Amino acid sequence: MEEHELLEIGQKAVNQAQKLGADEAEIFLYMENQTLVQFVGGIFASRSDAVKGLKGAFVRIAGPWIKKKGLPKITSGIKAGIGIRVIVKKGIGFSSVSSIEEKKVLEAMKEATKIAKIRPPDPNWVSLPECKKPTGESGIFDKRILELDVDKLLALCADGCVIIGDFDKRIIQAIGAVSAVSFARGIVNTNGIEAFDKGTIFNASFYAKAKSGKEEVSSGDFLISRYYTENLQPVAISTSKRTIESLGKKALSEKYVGPVVFENGSWNELFSVIFTSGISALNIQENRSVYKGKIGNQVANENVSVVDDGTLPEGFGTTRFDDEGVPKQKTPIIEKGWLTNILYDNYTAKREKRESTGNASRQGRASAAYANQPAIRPSNLVLLPNKGSLQDLIAQLKNGVLIKGSLIGALHSNVVTGDFSVSADNAFKIENGEVAFPLKPCTVAGNLYEALNHVIAIGNDSKSFGNFVCPSLIVDKIVVST
Amino acid sequence: MNKAIKHALELGAYFAEVKGEDTKILNIEAINKEIRTVSEIHNIGLGMRVFYGKSSGFSFSNILDEENVSRAVEIAMKIARASTKKTLIKFQLSTVKPIEEKKFTNVSKHPKDVTLDDKKDLCLRQCNTAMNTSKSIVNTTSAFGEYHGAIYYMNSEGTKVSYEPLLVGLRVSCVAKKGTTIVDALDSHGGSVGLAEFEKEDHTPEKMAENAASWAMEKIKAKPAPAGKFDALINPRLAGVLAHESFGHLSEADFVVIGVSPLTGRVGQRLGAEHVSILDDGLPEKGGYKIYFDDEGMPCTRVEILKKGILNCYLQSRLTARALKMEPTGNARSQDYSFEPIVRMRNTYFDVGEWKPEEALKELKQGIYAIDTAGGQVEDTGTFLFKAVRGYWVENGELKYPLRDVALTGNILELLKNIDAVCNDMLISTTPFGGCGKMNQRAFVGTGGPHIRVKNVLFGGVA
Repeated sequence: MEEHELLEIGQKAVNQAQKLGADEAEIFLYMENQTLVQFVGGIFASRSDAVKGLKGAFVRIAGPWIKKKGLPKITSGIKAGIGIRVIVKKGIGFSSVSSIEEKKVLEAMKEATKIAKIRPPDPNWVSLPECKKPTGESGIFDKRILELDVDKLLALCADGCVIIGDFDKRIIQAIGAVSAVSFARGIVNTNGIEAFDKGTIFNASFYAKAKSGKEEVSSGDFLISRYYTENLQPVAISTSKRTIESLGKKALSEKYVGPVVFENGSWNELFSVIFTSGISALNIQENRSVYKGKIGNQVANENVSVVDDGTLPEGFGTTRFDDEGVPKQKTPIIEKGWLTNILYDNYTAKREKRESTGNASRQGRASAAYANQPAIRPSNLVLLPNKGSLQDLIAQLKNGVLIKGSLIGALHSNVVTGDFSVSADNAFKIENGEVAFPLKPCTVAGNLYEALNHVIAIGNDSKSFGNFVCPSLIVDKIVVST
Repeated sequence: MNKAIKHALELGAYFAEVKGEDTKILNIEAINKEIRTVSEIHNIGLGMRVFYGKSSGFSFSNILDEENVSRAVEIAMKIARASTKKTLIKFQLSTVKPIEEKKFTNVSKHPKDVTLDDKKDLCLRQCNTAMNTSKSIVNTTSAFGEYHGAIYYMNSEGTKVSYEPLLVGLRVSCVAKKGTTIVDALDSHGGSVGLAEFEKEDHTPEKMAENAASWAMEKIKAKPAPAGKFDALINPRLAGVLAHESFGHLSEADFVVIGVSPLTGRVGQRLGAEHVSILDDGLPEKGGYKIYFDDEGMPCTRVEILKKGILNCYLQSRLTARALKMEPTGNARSQDYSFEPIVRMRNTYFDVGEWKPEEALKELKQGIYAIDTAGGQVEDTGTFLFKAVRGYWVENGELKYPLRDVALTGNILELLKNIDAVCNDMLISTTPFGGCGKMNQRAFVGTGGPHIRVKNVLFGGVA
């Protein structure tokens, strides 16, 4: 759908709201074209080998790796819809519909107005955002993503699985997932905002299982980008390496407390969940953050600098404006250990009589963006890199632990206090500056806010994890036990 | 929908099906006497699956003009053609007789006929009652949710069905604080019912709020549960979660097809005592979430998974039934039009037995009465850890003192063998808040049963 068509629907709806008695109204219009491809490749039994008592079934048992064939699963389709906010006497109503048909849109507008009328006035409500010209780049849009067809995506996935299987005989299964998404967004409100942009996202992830004797291990790797990446070989090979290197796990002889090297992705799982909650203006205003009253104070050591940059070239979260129509900007959060700013959306900013930092986002519980109300979220939260590769960081430790891969339980961290206790499946013992052996699943515990005061070194291997960009680092005083 | 099916057949599909949906979800949340959230989501769209060669293809659209619906059919066909070249095995549906049927839902005070104001008042009444119970109740959250509309299904074999799903729920949770002790408790009620349900004595907003508040107050004084193996009396809500999470998922045929489930190849074997039966039902007589047809157009009849202690069958879709050469059971469900149907439960519960709950308690010499659950973890081997949110220490058939959060661990296949009493009461609970998650899809389900008594349950102490 073209820009003017989408905005025209928005304008009509907003006008209708004012006729219905709304003081203010906002409509968020969203269209998404997505294709998700999954492919399971590996060692399968043929149907005739089926396990006893289950004739005709398809059962996974040992056998030769079956090349180029496996179990594909693909879905593709278009989702369009709107989310409406209506304000009547400071009462806020929200309604959404999975349609951009005029009749349905106007119906949803009526519902939202009804809801607004029964809500008690919110004393902290000031007004919807005012119109400001977006300064950033026009949407990051890669036409090649639009042109990808399912054959091509499936081939990328299946070929990746073959590369993974060919890497080492001990790999018994590989799963690949590739998705291509293009989206268009529009926002219209009664304060004169009329904004439109579009974008693309390309995502590829692989996961492998390896078996040696009785030991079974697994690991994975992925890439997430605004542009199409044809060559997935590096991700596939990295998946194989990560899986194989975890074979031969041993337990720690005793509980370890001391410096730990976190690979970028592992650290990001903790950092993105806990730190994001800490720098949200809403959490600070409502007493749910340790950073309350800490702006202008030192909250980390001098190694730590963090920026939220909604204008980052090629950034996953780079758009011209946020999900309330406020232009994206670059906001320094921590400068050499000192907390300088936090993240605001329109509501929390006006509550403090200041400007939004352009961090309203509709990513949320509902899978469709239009069904969520805006909430504070980083655009591209960047932990600034310093120097050295992951190898260089490992070389700095005579005795230590390296944490790689995904952490189980990161989402259950206490985001208010910063306490975390997670399980790492891909951890390694470091001895004399080198990786000595893989560790049995271990518990990694600490406090993220305190950990920021114990950052010994930060590497330069920054990687994008959606709305976060993070390098590997060394943190002291972490507890690891197997 | 007709046109989409015709279009798919013209493009070479040997089978095509379409699901159409027009449903609404409304959520209201009040915290401490103030309405915090009111949000409405209206879901309209079409999802279609076509079968071609060895594979199938799925696509959807919520722009329902001819151009976009045709496009979705073409994409589904393209997917099926692409997949068929890469697939190891042939995916097919089992053969069934086509049906044509329409089902309507008729309840007193259907949510679509009740004003937003009245719904909001249900939440405020709960908050008011709970907050007025005691000064120690420092926080009360009340939520009302509803889901209803229409679901249509048709396929190229001539099946054409539709029904009106309905799910309404009310929930209240209270936080009590005394000194440094902070505890919480929750009560909820829901089902395919109208709002008249909340006028019944046991389910008025006031009654539920009183329950939650008094349970929270009781927990302030409660002791931590002792660790070790004890006999346990398990209440219907906790029994239901056991039936669903630890047993139900193992019986889902998609896990059997790939051989992951420990129940693989065990149909006909004895897994529990003769007085233990576990059912999965689309239309339970009493309570629960009523589903007339699954998303392959099959009637959602009652399935006896565990029949008198013997594994009777798995939960099947037409796809898995064909692979396993068994009968489909009407368990293919999708979250909404934009998802392909997968094997899901409906209302899963232990069937009633002969014991009166009072007698089952009376004959419990020493042990724990474990009540409700806030969730837990299960593994595909059947190993589980559940946290009961309340409980009582029992001696000689008497409740001695209240217990705080208690963790139960074990393996469901072991637990089934240790059930020594199944009672004659029955409760199936369901709410529109959340539901069960599987493969990135959520589904509303019901879980329940009577009180059951189990020997030798491992309790983990403070959860």
